[in-house]
Amino acid sequence: MNVREQLTGYLFILPAVTLIAVFGIFPIGYAFYMSMRRWRVVDRGFVGLANYEKALGDWMGALLFAAGFVILLVAYMVWDGLSRNRESNPWLRRGLPWLLVAISLVSIVTGWNRMQAAGDPRFLNTLPVTFYYAIGSVPVQLIVSLVLAYILFQKIRGQEVFRMIFFLPYVTPVIATALVFRTIFSPRETSIANRFLTFIGMDPQKWLFEPRPFLEVMFGIKLQGFLAGPSMALVAIIAFGVWTFVGYNTVIFLAGLGNIPKEVYEAAEIDGANQWQLFRHITVPLLSPVTFYLSLIGIIGTFKAFNHIFVMQEPSARGTVVTTSVFIYNTFFKAAQFGYATTAAILLLGIILFLTFVQTKIFGERVFYG
Amino acid sequence: MTGKRIWMVAILLMAALVLTACPQAAPAQPSGEQPAAEQPAKEEAKEEMAAEEAPAEEAMEGEKEGMMSWEDVDPTGQEITFWHQHSRAREEALQQIVADFNANNEWGITVNAEYQGGYGDIFNKMLNVLNTPDAPNLVVAYQNQAATYQLADALVDMNPLVNSPKWGLSEDELNDFFPAFLKADVFPTFGGARLGWPPNRSMEVMYYNEEWLAELGYDGPPTTPDQFKEMACKAAQQPFSKATAEGSIGYELSIDASRFASWTFAFGGDVFDYEANQYAYNSPEAIAAMEFIQSLFNDGCATVVAERYGDQTDFGNGVTLFTVGSSSGLPFYRGAVEEGANFAWNVDALPHVTPDPVMNLYGASISIPKTTPEKELAAWLFLKYFTSPDVQATWVKASNYFPVRKSVAENLSDYFEENPQYAKAFGLLPYAKTEPPVPGYDFVRDLVREAMAAIADGADIQSTLDQLNQEANDILADQLAQ
Repeated sequence: MNVREQLTGYLFILPAVTLIAVFGIFPIGYAFYMSMRRWRVVDRGFVGLANYEKALGDWMGALLFAAGFVILLVAYMVWDGLSRNRESNPWLRRGLPWLLVAISLVSIVTGWNRMQAAGDPRFLNTLPVTFYYAIGSVPVQLIVSLVLAYILFQKIRGQEVFRMIFFLPYVTPVIATALVFRTIFSPRETSIANRFLTFIGMDPQKWLFEPRPFLEVMFGIKLQGFLAGPSMALVAIIAFGVWTFVGYNTVIFLAGLGNIPKEVYEAAEIDGANQWQLFRHITVPLLSPVTFYLSLIGIIGTFKAFNHIFVMQEPSARGTVVTTSVFIYNTFFKAAQFGYATTAAILLLGIILFLTFVQTKIFGERVFYG
Repeated sequence: MTGKRIWMVAILLMAALVLTACPQAAPAQPSGEQPAAEQPAKEEAKEEMAAEEAPAEEAMEGEKEGMMSWEDVDPTGQEITFWHQHSRAREEALQQIVADFNANNEWGITVNAEYQGGYGDIFNKMLNVLNTPDAPNLVVAYQNQAATYQLADALVDMNPLVNSPKWGLSEDELNDFFPAFLKADVFPTFGGARLGWPPNRSMEVMYYNEEWLAELGYDGPPTTPDQFKEMACKAAQQPFSKATAEGSIGYELSIDASRFASWTFAFGGDVFDYEANQYAYNSPEAIAAMEFIQSLFNDGCATVVAERYGDQTDFGNGVTLFTVGSSSGLPFYRGAVEEGANFAWNVDALPHVTPDPVMNLYGASISIPKTTPEKELAAWLFLKYFTSPDVQATWVKASNYFPVRKSVAENLSDYFEENPQYAKAFGLLPYAKTEPPVPGYDFVRDLVREAMAAIADGADIQSTLDQLNQEANDILADQLAQ
């Protein structure tokens, strides 16, 4: 390729690069700059990493916590590498990964406890809430939308109508629908959610006003710590998130289903495969690029989710629905702590980048592109 | 493949088990949502209100020597922008006032009044335009919001304007303002600067169902917390005969920092110690107030408002006997009652343990962001017009707010007659007191809401309020630190 061709190429990408640089890279860089400063309405000077220290509390704790997850990832990669090599020492193949897992767990627990002891509990508490929200939303969205897409892909009457109906929640303004869901999950005994519970013989619940864990309220299972799970209020918000994005995922899955060659199904049917086997051994693997894409943007989206959580949150939920994004907003606009808010935003960005990397590393390798 | 899956599941399980040791996302104290129709305001005590006749110049404290002279500034031909939150009928009335000013003012000043969303929206927008050419020339702001703007030295101190021989107000005119209203916009934390000018005010009052009270055997509203509790608990057991919806509630509490302040005032305390310049959320009076609230919940006599303005709806349907809310909500309550169970109702002071009632007065003022002297002066001249007696009379009738001038009140007898609840609330103004005008109060209000919710749910009051007070003071210290 000669210089002229190269210049032409650069010229073509120049508009996109400029836009991304101005509206993507620069804001991130500027946010990082703000996070290093004491900025309350006006810039009051450089403070280095003080804002980060305020959020995380203890550098060693933060390092141990982050290192724990990195070691966990390394453990997986070591196991993956050794398991491919059948000639490797079986003790090494099984023992080394488990040893790494044990080290990572000790590191995570120690780091977290140190951060909790010295960091900002309001910020740190948002991390498990955000994690609950993501883990509670994305897998359910994917499973439900895959099933719906598979059903819609069959030649059923009114397919287009159903497709539109499922897509409607995604295109409806989120504030309006979130307000409707507030009514559905109102603590009144006459709310739709409580009428349903009453109908199936259960007691009415406080839903968005309930800070107790879902497992405890609904099933009487009292677990401690992280395993206690999301609050009842957060589960109601997760339900809204699932409802909103199922339609979008379904449409993407439908597009993926349309790309699977019919010949593959026909060949399998000739070999005697039943419907379940067709779904399990043909549809699921050949949809894996779509599933991977949706899970990737799903995790990123849920970690950044804000609007409907902000609308549906109630003080009675007492912080159990405050995700990191909501915390950032409150810190920026209500406390006017611009520097500290951007610090939280940068930390959230780091978490999202790490999760994206892990997803790409672990699940990306399993994607079957045909 | 199967082995890999098992491996992955094992890792996830182990990670989950480890994290079991990590503290749960505790139902602690974080943040919440923004205000309702009305937020609170500022400082100062009922003495000022009680001493209505005291010379208003006393309220003009903070006037300092060496301030800018406005005498030579010429506002002729200026075009200024006014950011406000009024919508519907209030906006129409405001636009008419603005149009009249634009048509008749002798300097050819043109005001453009722009609706910019609610108080929170305006606050968020202002943070982005402080000290820039995009800032408006007039902006609606609660006192705590004005204090936040002033952290960036972004507002005009109006003291010299008010006292200017050429552009200011005469002694008689100043004496016509309710002193407490004027004093509310003077900020001790900013050297006594006057950062706002009050166009109107409202107040937290107790709404009650008169007919239901009569059915319960009472001939008047409660004046003490004990009476309030007795009536509320009785109402929870004995539904209103004309109720148009299911349920029977004694008191429906909307969880809000202003409710916290109102009940603390009623118990003889304050949420802020003005001498120490510190929050006082764990004062004995605040604790007593919250013990009272918690006892209402423990005895099944109160519930939390389930949705925004749900208390108004329930009140209108005859489902709840008492609510506490802003007097600016009077038209909405009236509408709810007329559309609902249609009964006799009224407002009164919150039940109190003090000899006299102590009422929570609030309302946004209008601030002048720093721009050019000519535009700042033009903005002040519009404010002066807006608070002139005739304009105030028009504004009060359209908005249902309280006027800021005594002479206006004296001419509202017809309006009082048509709106007896308004008249009743207006009569409580001498007992008014305000919430703290300090930066960061918006954030603190969220903390208060969560603490209040926790208390309603049965949390330990002392430790909850101790933690709240600590966090609130930490925020205040951070805001005021240079």
